[in-house]
Order: sequence, then structure tokens, then C-alpha cells
Amino acid sequence: MNKAKKITKADLAQMNAIVSEYSQQKWALIPLLQQIQREFGYIPPQSMLLIARGLGLFTSQVQGVISFYTQLYTQPRGRNVVRVCRGTACHVRGGKTILKLVKQHLRIEEGETSPDLEYTLETVACIGVCALAPNLVVGDHVHGHMNPKKVEQLFRNREVRE
Amino acid sequence: MQAITITLDGREVSGYLGMTILELAKESGVEIPTLCHDNHLTPTGACRVCLVENEQNGALLASCVTPIASEMVINTHSPRVTESRKTIVKLMLTSHPDSCLVCDKGNRCQLRQIASDLGIGLVELQRIPRMTSTEEVNPFLERDLSKCILCAKCIRACQELVVEGAIDYFQRGFTTIPATLDNLPLENSECTFCGTCVALCPTGALMEKDRTYGGTTKSTTETTCPFCGCGCSICLEVKDSKVVRVIPGKEDPVNHGTLCVRGSYGCDFVNSPDRLTKPLVKRNDTFEEVSWQEALEQVAAGFKRVKDEQGSGSLAVLGSSKCTNEDNYVLQRFARTVLGTNNIDNGGRLYNSASRVGLRSSLGFSGTTNYLSDMEQSEVILVIGADPNSSAPAVGYAIKRAVKQRGVKLLLIDPRQTGLSLFAHLWLRPEIGTDAALLNGLAKVIIDEGLLDEEFVARRTDNFEAFKESLRSYTLEYVEKITGVTGQEILALARLYAKASQAAIVYGTGITQHTTGTDSVGALANLALLTGNIGRKGGGIYALQRENNGQGACDMGTLPKFLPGYQSVADAQARGRFEKCWGASLPAEAGLTTLEIMEQAEKEKIKGMYIMGENPVLSFPNSRLVTEILTSLDFLVVQDMFLTATARLANVVLPAASFAEKEGTFTNFEGRISKVRKAIEPLGESLPDWEIIVRLADKMGYPLPFSSLRDVTSEIEKLVPSYEDYTDSEKQDELAYGETGRTYDRQFLKGFARFSPIEYVPQVGQRKSDYPFTLLTGTTLYHFGTGNRSSRACRLRKFSPQSFVEICESDARKLAVTDGEEVKVVSAVGEVTTMVKISDTLRKGMLFMPFSFPETPVNALFDIVLNPETKEPSLKACSVRIEKIPVPLGERL
Ligand code: SF4
Ligand code: SF4
Ligand code: SF4
Ligand code: FES
Ligand code: FES
Repeated sequence: MNKAKKITKADLAQMNAIVSEYSQQKWALIPLLQQIQREFGYIPPQSMLLIARGLGLFTSQVQGVISFYTQLYTQPRGRNVVRVCRGTACHVRGGKTILKLVKQHLRIEEGETSPDLEYTLETVACIGVCALAPNLVVGDHVHGHMNPKKVEQLFRNREVRE
Repeated sequence: MQAITITLDGREVSGYLGMTILELAKESGVEIPTLCHDNHLTPTGACRVCLVENEQNGALLASCVTPIASEMVINTHSPRVTESRKTIVKLMLTSHPDSCLVCDKGNRCQLRQIASDLGIGLVELQRIPRMTSTEEVNPFLERDLSKCILCAKCIRACQELVVEGAIDYFQRGFTTIPATLDNLPLENSECTFCGTCVALCPTGALMEKDRTYGGTTKSTTETTCPFCGCGCSICLEVKDSKVVRVIPGKEDPVNHGTLCVRGSYGCDFVNSPDRLTKPLVKRNDTFEEVSWQEALEQVAAGFKRVKDEQGSGSLAVLGSSKCTNEDNYVLQRFARTVLGTNNIDNGGRLYNSASRVGLRSSLGFSGTTNYLSDMEQSEVILVIGADPNSSAPAVGYAIKRAVKQRGVKLLLIDPRQTGLSLFAHLWLRPEIGTDAALLNGLAKVIIDEGLLDEEFVARRTDNFEAFKESLRSYTLEYVEKITGVTGQEILALARLYAKASQAAIVYGTGITQHTTGTDSVGALANLALLTGNIGRKGGGIYALQRENNGQGACDMGTLPKFLPGYQSVADAQARGRFEKCWGASLPAEAGLTTLEIMEQAEKEKIKGMYIMGENPVLSFPNSRLVTEILTSLDFLVVQDMFLTATARLANVVLPAASFAEKEGTFTNFEGRISKVRKAIEPLGESLPDWEIIVRLADKMGYPLPFSSLRDVTSEIEKLVPSYEDYTDSEKQDELAYGETGRTYDRQFLKGFARFSPIEYVPQVGQRKSDYPFTLLTGTTLYHFGTGNRSSRACRLRKFSPQSFVEICESDARKLAVTDGEEVKVVSAVGEVTTMVKISDTLRKGMLFMPFSFPETPVNALFDIVLNPETKEPSLKACSVRIEKIPVPLGERL
């Protein structure tokens, strides 16, 4: 598992500054969370207490909202998010193997981020281009008709797991 | 209000605008099942079990959230409704685990009840049990979230009622659970184990932990919590003459469905194996069990001997702020007529007589001026010298609710950080014991800035000019110098308080337990009078009381100067009334207060003492001295549930029944009189306190005319003002909810309230170089009083087994002591050994210790320093030092 990067005093000061812009407006929670995520790439757990105090909420409430939305993260994310399709069409055309290979190349499991913060690996249930199955997405870019070779090309710079 | 008529199950019924279908159905006697609804919580419509059908458009509606609309035609039990309800419940059951079969919630499980009411047999749907559960190591409650039906009652209870916010939904979809931050066990969260969520959870997802207290309840009894002065209504569930469970009571004007950890999990002291079950007589320094007959003969003979040899004035009696009103009433009548002395006082004096005297001389009324429910109309609440989250949790909940839900501004004055600090709009941290100066400073700002309620001051009060004059020297600079609070903060607080149209004051033992307590209470009353905040809903002064019946014990006249109802013993007319009824002549000179009793005993003027339900060895200052004094008495009788440190010194110990084993009433800090009802038979041969006294009076040859409790209550109703109809619950409700409160309508008993000029006097016993720390004492949530009962409540004891001294980090570093290290705390008169706990709630130079650990008698550190007016000793702060304990050679590495 990768660790969240260490939060410095300066980071805390920045969080405080952001929170104070929204202070005591209960309904500002979502925009505030989004802004924090924009600044830090994720929502550092340390910020939850500040957010809760700033908006007059309970910390557990803030956590509840964050955990409800897939777009909010409490772990840092890689610069490239890789989503391997696990939908039916991709599955019958070997999606499972593609996922296994990607894991080997990136040396991370589903839901994890590589320690150098380069990649985050996720799965997705059908991205709507079944004709190209099996598919995977890197960032906004769809890669269709995947096969072991193409996986290798895509992630050439990563060593293969023993 | 406009009436709305609907057809409900073919019958026309009407309700008012905004009423839900469920409410109207309940009012009309129609049962609709519910799982996520509770009167105390905001409705969410989460479970859909309560659905009903609107015949007009065929819509299925969740009745708990749907308001009635005119001409609706509602069916609550049509075949379609029943079918849908069945499906919903079946869906819930499919995700339920197999452990449902052996679930301890058993017949209390609402899901099972509803399923069986609906006649659900086998569930034909495929079962997909939720597989989640959290291990908890706390001794109170257990979560098995595989049984959670996501009704969110627990979450709402925690956020809306007790306002801790320990839990909320976590994740989404099938994996959703109510969870703490980071999904940690409850003990690592904000949870205070109040048990409120447990009582509300409809399934076995949240349950009491200790199975030895489990099992199916055979009977339930509504009564009143025996711990703090809130007087929450509780319900005792009993099985095999054992109290197996405590849940919030149904008649709950104070607690609104909540309790605190003491009420929920602390009442098992009742069945403690340490309970005394037979009278004990000391022979050759050991106690022997004897019969009542023999014990009472010994007591009667003992008191008679002392009385005959040295006169009535050599006898003294202590009543108890823990016993019922009736116990105390009978005791004082016994003291005054049978023993013939006014030397009677109660333990509550140590904690709240500053309130009685301070408020009485200002307002002519010696208690809390408003009911807790009035606080809902406050705009500003000023809390000073009180940590209600620990000492009076139900009041703490009410304050937090006001802040969170109605945006009330909380102004906090406390040197120590408390659970309320986070909720405070403004928090001032004055030096310990400088409250009177600070309050005078505030009053001066209010007058100087013209923020006072001039009409009220002119028409309702007296002595304003002298008061104004007395404030002359309390300039911001001067007050800042004394209190350490900046002028800016003083200004801000004064303005917020004075400009609010209703502002309430809440204070506790942080004010009254100082030697200058009476002054500070007077200064608080001045503030309220200046701003016209007396006699107003939403305003007023709330004097918290430490113990369940602190107020009642005083009302009943276990006081040396006053007969029941604060009728002076010196007043011949008042005395005459009692003499006539009691058929005895009464002593006219005031008796001795508790501490004077001790002083006189030391001088051998008091030779015999009768102590009911008090433990002075642990609750009075200077325990060593108190022990010596009590040991030197000719004759000491203690009546208690346990062999307390004080009882051990007695010649005869009489076993008393607990609150669960007797009938009577307690008077809470609001002055509300609540019923105590018998849930089980007295343990062993123990007896209710009042009954013991009646038997003793018999033995002494002066029978009291009380053959049943009813005889006692009718006498109280006849003789004690403001208890006229106190056993009539309807009349009591009227008083509590009606417009005619005690000081409402701006009427004062004496016609006028009086400003009292108060001088700030530096506290006796200021810091010296040998004793560089100021030690504060107080209550912790998980214990109570001297710990006599709470240390015998297994679960409380398990959770918080040991005394500690809190210290701030920088002081700890300076002394080179670490968290968990044993140290000695030493004062000029005594020392105790305890454990260091580093805490960020204190500032440099301050220490905090809880009172309630019998093994670590904190009172040993205090000397007897009297509050000159009330003769109440200071037990709040004293000067101490910390000494490291050298590690014996052998243990060093
Ligand atoms: S734990 Fe109990 S009260 Fe809480 S949501 Fe689940 S079923 Fe409801
Ligand atoms: S026990 Fe009380 S504080 Fe703890 S989660 Fe339940 S309601 Fe909240
Ligand atoms: S708040 Fe006080 S009265 Fe209420 S349950 Fe707790 S200890 Fe008992
Ligand atoms: S199943 Fe993979 S894109 Fe549709
Ligand atoms: S009780 Fe109405 S939806 Fe749950």
C-alpha cells in the first residue's frame, strides 16, 4: 500500500486558507471538497477535521460525504489513471487476462496507486465501446483491441513483476 | 389552527396543518408499524415499512414523512399495503445473518416483531447476508453491523440528540454502514457511550455488551436516574430481581430519549456483591452481623446515652443529597423532634449552598429560575465554571443542540478546555478563582455602554446605585490584570450577552465550590438583573447541582438554619406551625453546618453522629482529619448501601435500600420533582432509609406517625411550600409546561430583586513556590461523586479503572514525567499517588484530578478553608506540587 505523502505545515496552512473561504456555510461542503482535491490531488485525511470545524459539521459527516462520491478520494492518485474494463463484452474477449497483465506491469493491485504516484489502477464496468473489446482507458484515452503485446508497449517503461 | 379532515381506514378524522399521516393515525388509535421513526428524531423516511395507500391516486406513501392533506383517503392495512410491507420486510430479512436466531435482542427486536405481525414465514428470496462487523473492546456496547437495516436512527441520535457526531454513514450501496471516522472501534472515536443509539436501534445491530446482564426482561419500571442533578427519567428492566438493563424512560421532559453512560451502564451497583444486607455492629474492632432488632436497640441506647449525658446539642445528623425527599424529610423530623437538635446538614451543602445563599439574597429565590426546555428560546447561553458534558450531560446535550440546531451563541468562561469549547462562539480563560472580578468587569461594560435594560432595572430592582458605584474600580485594565482575559474579549462577551434579547446563564461547581462562590453567584445574578434576563423564557439562571437530590435535600430542611421549605428555625411562627403538627417543641437556635459539626467534634462538643448516605471521609476536605474526628466520637451510626470509608468508622452500620428498591421523589436542578419507583425488593434485609428512621424512632420511644410512604408525602404536601401537590403528576406537569413558572411574569417573591455589590477578594491559599501548581478537581463522565456507586458499576470500572492527574505537555516535559507514570501529588496537608495523563485541555501551571476514585482520595489534599458566608469548604482548587516516585534499585535496568 502506498502512504499518503507527508503533510507539511505549509499544506495545513493552505488547507486552512481554503476552508476559511467557505467557513460556516454548511452547503459549501461539496465545492470545498472539490477545491481541496484540486489543490492536493486528493482529500488528505488531515483536512477532514479542519473542514468539519470550519463548516460546523461532525468529522464523521464529512467522511460520510467523501466516501459516498466516487469522484472524491482520500488517497493520493497517480498522474495516470488506468481503468481496465471488466464489462461482459470485454470479459469474454479476455479482459481478465488484460487486467492481470496490467497489474504485473504496474506492480499494483486494483484501487492502488504506485508509490511514485505515476499510476492508479481501477476497473470499470463497460465503457460503452464494446465493439473494440477488450478495452482499457489511460487518462481520457481509450485503448481498444488490447492484447499482451499492446499492454507491454503501453507500459514498457515499467518493469515486469517476477 | 386550521383543521384538516381526512378519511383514515374508512373513518373521518381531523388533524392540523403539517401533521403527518403517522401522527394522526397514532392519535386516532390506528397502529402503523415503523422502523426508522422516532418522536425525538427528524423523520427521514428511510425504511418504508410505514407505508400506506392513498385511495384517490393509488400512491403508496411513507406515512412518517407525508403530511396530511384535506380529503385524502388513506388505507393503512389494505391488502396492497400489507403485501408491499411484507416485501419490504422480506428484503430486509434476506440481508440478515443467520445469527438472527440466537440474537440477544430477542423479543425486543422490532424487525422480528414486525415480521411476525405481518405473518412472514419463510423468505423465498435468495439470501445475501451482509458480512460486516466491528470488534469493539469497550465494556458497554457491541456493534454487529451485519444486522443493520440502515434506518439511521443511531446516526440521528448521535448527531441530533446527544450531538457527539461519532458516527455517520460510510461508503455507499451494499457496503454502507454507520461508521466512526476511519471506521475505527467506538472507543477511538468521539463516542461517549451514552447508550442512546443502543436504546433506539430497532435490531440487534447495536446492543449492550455484557451478556451477564442479558436475557429477557420480566418487568420494567419507570424511575429517575440516581446519579447527577439532571434527573433523567430512566426505565429499569428487571429479571430475577436483578436490574439487567437501563434504557431512557418514556416520561422524559429532561432527557428527550437520551441518557449518559452513567445512567445507561452505571446502575448495576444496585446488585453489587458489596451491598450490605444485614445490620452490622462493631465489637472489638470487627463488624458482626446482627438482627435489626438488636442493631436498632444498640443505636437507640447509644443516642440516648449521649443525649442524657451531654444534651441534645452534642448530637449531629447528616442527611443526604442522594436520598429521596421523603428520606430527608423523615430524617430532619427525627433530628429535630426525637434527638432535639438543629445540628442537621446535608452533603449537598458542600457543592451548592453558595447557590442557595447567593441567589436567595439577590432574587429571593434559591434555585434555578427556568426549566431546561426554556433554553430553546435563548439567543445566547453563557456557561461559566461548569463542564456539563461530564457533570450534567443532559444539560450539555441541550446546550449543544441549541448551538448546532438553532445557531445559539455559546459564551464560555472556563480556564480548562471542556467538551463545550468546540461549540463556543467565544471562550474566555480567566485565571482560576477570579470569576467575581471578571463578572464585575462585564457588568461595568454593560452599564458604561448603556446596554442595560433600564426599564427592568428601574421597576423591578433595588440597590442599583450602590451597585454601580461598587463597580467603579473594575476598569478593563484592572480586570485584565487580575483575570488575564484581554479587554477586547471582555468587551465582546459583555456586548453579546447584553444585546441578546434572551440570554441564559448556566453555572456549576466551578463557581460554587470556591471559597468565593457566594460572591460569584451574586455577581452572576447582577448580570442577569442588569439585562432583564430574569423572569423571561429563554433567559434566567441555571444553577447546576452535583447530585440527584441536592436541591431536594435542602428543600426538605436537612439544613441547620431552616425547617422544611426554608422556613427559618428562628421564626417563632414558622416553628409554631411545625410544632403543632409534630406535637413536639423545637429548638429555636440555628444548628451547626457540616464543617462546624466536624470542628465541634474535634473539640469534643459533638459526641454522637448519625450519617445517612454520605461519605464525609471522602467528600470533605482533609480526609485524615475527618477520619480522626469521626473515630474519636463516642457513638457513630452510618446508614448506607455499602461499607464506605466512613461506615468503617461507625459503631453501628445500618443497611439501606438502593433507589431501585424504594419509592419516593428526587428534585432535580431545575426544581422538577420526579418519581422514584420500586423495581425490585430491597436486597437482603436492607430497608428504605425513611423506614429505618421510623423504626429507630419507635425504639427510642418517640414513634413517628408514618406507617406508609403516603403518610410522609401527605405531611410534606401540607407543610412544605412549593411541594403542595407534588405527588400529583398532572399538577406538576402543569407547573413545568405552563406559562406560570417560578419567576416568570417578572414577579419576584419579595417584589423586588436586589443588586448585591460584590468585591473581588483574592482566594485564600494562593500559589506558593513549594506548591507551584493549581490543582482543579471535578467530575469525569465515567464516574460519579466519591465513586461509592460508580466504582461498583462493573462496566464503568472496567472502562475507567484508575484515578489520574491531568497535566499539560510542557509542564510534563519540565518535570520529566511521562504519560502513565505514577507520581505523588502533594499539598500542604496531604498527598496521593496517581497516574500522569498528558492533556491538551490545560494550561501551564494547572492540574486536574477527578474526585471519584475511593482508592485515591483527592480530598486528602485539601485543607478546610471555609466560604465565610455559607460555611462551605473550598474543594475546587488548591496548590500542590508533583513528585516523581523514585524507582527502587532492583527495578532499574
Ligand atoms: S445500527 Fe441499528 S440504528 Fe443504526 S442504522 Fe443500523 S439498524 Fe439503524
Ligand atoms: S453511544 Fe452515544 S455517543 Fe456513542 S455512538 Fe451511540 S449515541 Fe453516539
Ligand atoms: S445525565 Fe445525569 S441524570 Fe441523566 S443519565 Fe446521566 S447521570 Fe443520570
Ligand atoms: S464491456 Fe468493456 S466496453 Fe463494454
Ligand atoms: S418509519 Fe416511515 S419510512 Fe421508516
